[in-house]
Amino acid sequence: MKYIKTLLILILTAALMIGINGCGKKGHPQLKVGVLLPLTGSMANFGEMERNAFELAKAKINAERAKAGMDSIQFIYEDDTGKPDVGRAAMEKLINVNKVLMVTGGYSSSVTFTAAAVAQQYRTPFLVNTGSVDKITEPEAFNLTTNDGDKFYIYRLNPPVSEYASGLEGLLAEVVKPKSVFIIHENTAFGTKGAKAFQKSADKLGIKVLGVQSYSSGTIDFKPLLSQVKKANPDLVYMISYVMDAAQIMKQARELNLKPKLFVGAGAGFTMPAFKENAGVASRRVCSATLWHKALPIKGAKEFNDAFIAKYGGDGPDYHGAEAYSAAFVVDNVLKRCKGKYDKETVKKALDATDMMTVFGPVKFQAYGKKIHQNKMATYVVQWIHGDLKLIWPKNLANAQFEYPINWDKIWAE
Amino acid sequence: MAKKSTKDTALVSKKEWMIILGLVVLPFVFNFSTYVQGLLVIMMIWVMLGTSWNLLAGYTGLVSFGHAAYFGIGAYTGGLLFFHFHISPWWGLLLGGPAAVILGYLLGIMVFRLRGPYFALGTLASAEILRIVFGEEEWLTNGHNGILYITTWTTKYPYYFIGLVLALGSIFTVKAVMRAKAGYYFLSIREDEDAAQALGIDTMKYKNISTVLSTFWAGTAGAFYMIYMGFIDPEVVFALHNISIITILVGIIGGVGTIWGPALGAAVMVFVQEFFRSAFFGLAPSWVSRLHALAFGLLVIFVILYLAGGIVGDWDIIRKALRFKRKTEIAE
Repeated sequence: MKYIKTLLILILTAALMIGINGCGKKGHPQLKVGVLLPLTGSMANFGEMERNAFELAKAKINAERAKAGMDSIQFIYEDDTGKPDVGRAAMEKLINVNKVLMVTGGYSSSVTFTAAAVAQQYRTPFLVNTGSVDKITEPEAFNLTTNDGDKFYIYRLNPPVSEYASGLEGLLAEVVKPKSVFIIHENTAFGTKGAKAFQKSADKLGIKVLGVQSYSSGTIDFKPLLSQVKKANPDLVYMISYVMDAAQIMKQARELNLKPKLFVGAGAGFTMPAFKENAGVASRRVCSATLWHKALPIKGAKEFNDAFIAKYGGDGPDYHGAEAYSAAFVVDNVLKRCKGKYDKETVKKALDATDMMTVFGPVKFQAYGKKIHQNKMATYVVQWIHGDLKLIWPKNLANAQFEYPINWDKIWAE
Repeated sequence: MAKKSTKDTALVSKKEWMIILGLVVLPFVFNFSTYVQGLLVIMMIWVMLGTSWNLLAGYTGLVSFGHAAYFGIGAYTGGLLFFHFHISPWWGLLLGGPAAVILGYLLGIMVFRLRGPYFALGTLASAEILRIVFGEEEWLTNGHNGILYITTWTTKYPYYFIGLVLALGSIFTVKAVMRAKAGYYFLSIREDEDAAQALGIDTMKYKNISTVLSTFWAGTAGAFYMIYMGFIDPEVVFALHNISIITILVGIIGGVGTIWGPALGAAVMVFVQEFFRSAFFGLAPSWVSRLHALAFGLLVIFVILYLAGGIVGDWDIIRKALRFKRKTEIAE
């Protein structure tokens, strides 16, 4: 009995040791870059799209690198399951076990922020491509000041959540001219901060905020909340939600006959193909702020969209895919500029000097307000028209005429 | 099982000294990466939580579905001190336990009137209320933005040893109290509260004592979590599924109403989840990582169906199933 027990323990320990060593050994001549994404759990939809985009980019990047005789890049994915504590452990694993040069990815705001604290502590460059809560690129949150750029290892490709609706403001001011708004948001850092930012926009535009209500992600019955919205009778309903909640909200709004002048989503769930699939008829004519669209006159945007569809099928990527794809190219560009000297400090210096074009737009890390290492970008507005996500604003870039005013009875009955 | 332990005269038996010694030298023998060290620290937190739940549910029969309430209060005690007054969250380690005790007492006034499933629902609701309140009252708790604290050390060993001391503290608190008269009163309340009352046991008093001890360790676990993780938000520390339910599962897997059961349950839970999440530490194809929740779920179902006493409680059955000859059987 004793022997068997000891043997069992030995086998288990051995398995553990082998397993842990096993992770690091694969692909010796490659440059290892960690990618933190939610691949399971309620945010898996987004994580999956971003991973596909990273893989698509990797194939292209490594083909070019092979031609030029350069070391190839290896992305090591870690699933943060959408939970901050898991994200933290995953980041530690990437840094300490996989010994990556830098980390990219970062989806949910809370997870990205917690993981960023770990990256900062281990002085590992972290190029965030989706996590959007403002404080991620505010050194103040990490006990640093805006003058500590050389000590701050966090960089962000995407705009912060407070700027998501900046593109939308034009559409509201010039076309919709709503008098009142009701804001629905999920009760997370992303949701609360997004709601606050939009309240500011509303004040600026003279739109009266009739109510701000939050819900927990994964709610099934939104009707009590939506009844309240209906009672308030706003011109505009502004929603900050991940994809499944977004679909539920629109479906139930249709069932309740909630008919404001316009439904607007704050990106996140509302631009995803899964939103259209799940909300069905109720997704029609819903608008959303977005950070990217395939029709934007950016070199490579359409090619990326087509290549993504060719490889993975479906409706193609939304801005999340473009963010990930671009992050991969930024990583490639940064590592090229390291000129063979692969250590974290060199990578950081290269990140500082980044000035390049991606399918997501120009990338250059700047300092403004409380933020440093933040890429500045324009945002846009899209609308679901005839089952397709069309770019409707700003006018000069639009690939479709927006539909407004909307006759919901007709649209929903079709 | 409880009876067996009372036979030993020393609070810490020889076997237990061996385990403690093993845990102390473990990091010196193996050169663990900080990643594995981190898992060990997490394990210690779950040992504390599982053990504290076990005292209340396993020994006193008060099945709590809201242990996240005490865990969360413990975590927020340190967190709020830091957030509002810039006092080190390490003070939370001292104050988190007592804060949870106060909460436990206040909630006890309400939920102790309830029994069985109603008690369970009452505790569940308490934790959910706290989760929502801590999320909405931004002026007090910083709401869903959570509280971030840059942790004291990047190395994990200090955390491991502090966690180990705390975890052992929780285990031996339970062991000590279960050897004392109070322990027998707890068991009598678990078996039949009315009969216990008829025998002259002040059931309310002993339910409160059990709660005080249980919530103290749950709160301390929360405070330690804050210090170690450096980030808390209401969805994380007051989580129904990720804290309250997992705490119960840790207890069930290890063995409800056994001293070392929750500790073993915690070890199994952390190992199984991470083993799958990391796709067998990177050896298996990555789709395996999607099974991490499922794997643990299946394990729980298996344990409930075939090992109702948990791994420690039904160790005899496991031994027989694995055809280990039990030499001592004849001697006993």
